[in-house]
Formats: sequence, C-alpha cells, structure tokens
Amino acid sequence: MHLTDEQLNEYLDNETNERMQIETHLSSCGECAARLSALQALFTELDSLPEVALTKSLSEASPWGAAPFLPTRNLPAPLPKFLTLTVILQAAFALTAVIIAIPFVANLLPAFEIPSLAESLAQLSTFNLQPATFQLPNFQPANLPTFNFQPATFEISSLLMALAGVSVLWILGNGVFLRNQR
Amino acid sequence: MTTPTDRDLILQTRRGDADSRTAFGELVTRYQTSVFNVCYRILHERGEAEDLAQETFIRAYDRIHTFDIEREFGPWIRRVAANLCLNTIESQKVTSELDDERDADSAQLPEAVQEVRERSEQIRHALASLPVHYRAVVELRHFQELSYEEIAAELNIPLSDVKSHLFRARKILAEKLHASH
Repeated sequence: MHLTDEQLNEYLDNETNERMQIETHLSSCGECAARLSALQALFTELDSLPEVALTKSLSEASPWGAAPFLPTRNLPAPLPKFLTLTVILQAAFALTAVIIAIPFVANLLPAFEIPSLAESLAQLSTFNLQPATFQLPNFQPANLPTFNFQPATFEISSLLMALAGVSVLWILGNGVFLRNQR
Repeated sequence: MTTPTDRDLILQTRRGDADSRTAFGELVTRYQTSVFNVCYRILHERGEAEDLAQETFIRAYDRIHTFDIEREFGPWIRRVAANLCLNTIESQKVTSELDDERDADSAQLPEAVQEVRERSEQIRHALASLPVHYRAVVELRHFQELSYEEIAAELNIPLSDVKSHLFRARKILAEKLHASH
C-alpha cells in the first residue's frame, strides 16, 4: 500500500500528525520516495523563483505626485476616547429627543390650515408690501391637552427651535463620527 | 541614528502630522518590491501588478488606524496585496496578455543566466495559467507561508478545499513544468 498524494503533500507542508509512519514507509518504498522527491523538486523551484524588480519606485510615482509618497492629505488624528463617548451620548440624546417630539409634531400638523397656492402667493405679496400686518395662520391646538394659556407662536417656535437644535446636534455628531470612521 | 522599526513608522503615520506621509513613504520603500512581486505572481502582467501594488499601499494607508500594531507589517501588507489581486481578477475576469520577461537584450546575457531566466519565466507562466482559486492557495502557501488553517480563514473556504486546491494546483504545475523541461 503506497502513500497517497495527500499524505505526501501534508508531509512536505508539515501539516501531518503521521510523520513517523510516513518516514517509515518512505525508507522502505522506492516508488513513494521518488514521488516525494518529485514533489520536493517542485517546492524547490517555487521557492527559488527570483523577485522581479519594479520599473518605477512606488514611493515616487504616486498618482498625487507626492514625494516621498502618497496623498497630499494627511490622515486625520484619531479622536480621544472621551470625545468619542461624548459624541455617542449626544447622538443617543438627539435620537431620543426626536422620537419624543414625533407625537407632538403629528398632533400639531392637522391644526394648521394649509393655504392654497394662490392664497400663499397673495399672502407673500401682502407680506412684501405690508410686513407689519403679516400673521401666521390661525393655530387651533384641538388635539393637545387644554392648558390655561393662549396658543401662540411662542410654543411653535420653541418646539421648532428645539427640533432644529437637536438636528444640528445630530448632524454634528454624525459628521464627527464619519470623520473618525475614515 | 538608529533605523526606525516598522512599528515606529506605523505609529508615526498614525499621528497624522506633517511627518506621517514621510514615515509611510519609508514603509512603501521597504515593502514595495515584495508587494509588487505578490501582484506579479498572481497577475503576471507588469503594468497591472504595479497599479495594484500601489493600490495596496493606498488601502493600507487609509486603514493604518485599524492595523494591529502587534502584528508584523510585511506579511499583512502582502496578504492585502494578494486579496486585492484575487478580488480584481474575480470582479474583472482579467484576461490581459501575459508578460514575457525576456528582454530585447537577453541574447547578450551569459547562457547560465539566460537559462535561469527562462526557467523562471516558465514557472511564472505555469502559475499564471492556474485557475484563480488554485493560484490563491499556492501564493498563500508557498510565498506567504501560511498554514492550511490560516489559508482557509484568509480565503473563507473550508480546510478540505484548501487541501484539494493546493494538491491539484501542484499536480498541474508539476505536469506543466515537467513538460516544458
């Protein structure tokens, strides 16, 4: 019984646990020893393949033309850990705030009387001519809990400003993250 | 003044300051030949091999922050090059003309040198004629000296496939080289 090709390959690759048995067989089997020798010759030829020289130095011939090498940009310095943590926290805060704000915004939207395009244009022209008389559409917070205060532009603008602030935080946080991910 | 180690150069590159590109340039100078040879063995087309060697360094530069500083840079960058070449072949099905290293002035070389050169060229042609997945295992086993398990992990294939690809590849190579002798 001769050795298999697999056994010979694994033997030369030092990937077998049967070294002793294989060597014992090889010492008494000329055919297997010749097969091993032929395989060994291939290994030697591959190992002796000389390296080819480059025709140009990669450190001088970058597409950016930068010497001694590489992009004209420098790598961004990594963010300190505390800043990364802060960014994660603010991103989580911003996301929570947006989620909390969604039902309020959904309740407010139907209360607006959406003017037609003609009305909007008319309002715009009026606004241009008489800016002092411009007013926001009449706001009726029908679906909101009733409190003893007049719904005014203050609440809307506060909410909008809060949402804008959260959005800015969100964008900034993502920007810092993306910069760090490069 | 002592020569900076690869580790020193990587750390300097990571700082992102004015000297970082110079530090990475030194790494390129150290490893460009071995990286180019990985690409050339797999592609056997000089121009493409040089382009992909350069692309390898660009990718390494962009990912230098993720490189595990405890590992050796040389084997890592050569593995990046091998993967890049194999992915390129897979995605583009490169069928470019194979290079012939015989120069116009090779006739003036001594006979022994010519013989070595011709034999090297036969080996390269035989390697380049292998199917891509066979070429991959030969490159990783013989030239990057990875174990079977490491090759399986690197190429994301079963251990049994690594063995069968490698053994068949060797058989084909032996036949081709024996025939051309």
